[in-house]
Amino acid sequence: MIDERKEELAALGAFDLLEGEEKARFGAELAAGRDAELRALATGLHEAASALAHTAPAAAPPAELRQRLLESIGEKPRPQAKVIPFPALIPWAVAACFAAAVIGLAARYAVLRTENRLLQEQQRIADLELRTLQSRLEGERILGEHQLADARLEAESAKREVAALDQKLKSQGDLARFKISTLVSMLGNTPAAQAVAVWDPTRQQGMMEVSKLPALAAGQDYQLWIMDPQYPKTEAVSGGVFQVDPDTGVARVVFKPGRNVSASRFAVSLERKGGVTKREGPVVLLSQ
Amino acid sequence: MVTVSSCFPPALAWAVSDAREEGRRSQARMSEPAGQDPSERDAVDADLLRRIAAGDRQALAGLYDRHSRPLYATALRILGDAAEAQDVVHDSFVVLWEKAGQFSVERGTVFCWAVTLVRNRAIDRLRMRRRRSELLERSVPADLGYGEAGGGADERATLGERASAVRAAVAGLPEEQKKALELAFFGGLTQQEIAERLQEPLGTVKARIRRGLMKLRDSLAHRL
Repeated sequence: MIDERKEELAALGAFDLLEGEEKARFGAELAAGRDAELRALATGLHEAASALAHTAPAAAPPAELRQRLLESIGEKPRPQAKVIPFPALIPWAVAACFAAAVIGLAARYAVLRTENRLLQEQQRIADLELRTLQSRLEGERILGEHQLADARLEAESAKREVAALDQKLKSQGDLARFKISTLVSMLGNTPAAQAVAVWDPTRQQGMMEVSKLPALAAGQDYQLWIMDPQYPKTEAVSGGVFQVDPDTGVARVVFKPGRNVSASRFAVSLERKGGVTKREGPVVLLSQ
Repeated sequence: MVTVSSCFPPALAWAVSDAREEGRRSQARMSEPAGQDPSERDAVDADLLRRIAAGDRQALAGLYDRHSRPLYATALRILGDAAEAQDVVHDSFVVLWEKAGQFSVERGTVFCWAVTLVRNRAIDRLRMRRRRSELLERSVPADLGYGEAGGGADERATLGERASAVRAAVAGLPEEQKKALELAFFGGLTQQEIAERLQEPLGTVKARIRRGLMKLRDSLAHRL
């Protein structure tokens, strides 16, 4: 729809009187080509405006102007695009494509060769690293073996220690169950005489060490008696007879009674040679 | 003596002689004959332009012969200087020669394009010379000779029918619209300058230009 505003713009545009933003907007609207009616109006008014050239006072150009014009265009040939026949282009096109392909392939070859060198270099580096790593691993392996051997030795040593400790503990355990009794002299004339008896109730055996007990005449023995509280004193169990060293007065006696006893005390009496079944002689040493 | 037929094969010789005949007919049409209707006129111009685009110097000469008078008159009217007017016409036809191949009939007639080239160059020169004050005095001459429809018999013969028709159409416009169109086309002025010259508000001047040109268009369509 053409309104007076558009007519005015078209009329002013026909005389190139539009300015600034008005000119730009109208020009854009015409260039967009969406309004055919407006375009037709603009063209028609432009034609009408051009017709005003006929209203200028009549004046003829001089004849020389025509000649001058024709000479001008003769001297300055109209720029024309050079048309190359299509068939002539084909070999050039082919050559150009071939050259482009060669250049492209050469460039690609150079790139690939460089990449290949880089890869080879990387391969060498990788091999070196591998060998280095292998050497390190071998060294670590050897070291590990040594350490392992050392560890084994240590383990063996520890094991022995453990065994020793175990034995010690066992001994200490054994010791804990032993009954240890000190026997003192009952003789007025040999007060220094004493004995220590160690009784193992589990094994029903014991050991006694006597010291400073006087040596006996021939025909006499000392006899060890083990007293069991569950039996009367008169029924003490014999631990066997023994003799002391005549020079030192020391005797070490290992004894094992004939029956199981629960030893509470120990005594040593003086008896005839070979001992007796029931104590007859005097008690020379007695457990405290 | 070498004749055409001896230079070319028979088919080509016929084509050459046919082209020569067309050229003779074309030359007969080059000067604007009386009674030539607008559509035929425009078609001749378009044909000449096509030949110019193909490098035909005679076609350019033909176009020059058809339209140089009003174009030169326009340039002279704007510049007031014959030498400059000749330069403007010369330069405009050189552009026509160089850019003939770019012209599109959808944008208007060949004459319209030629007038635009001449007018724009003339106004550019005018503004460059900064002779606005002289132009303002000269822009509305006392008598443009619009009073008679088409002028006298001698002038009609000189101007050609189209020019006479245009003058008659302009003469039929209201005075204020005639003045506005005159200043707009020949004055080389801006909208504001035209308004100042006519001592009218800008909106009034715009409206007069709009109405005057619309009427001129309708009148020329009627007459031509």
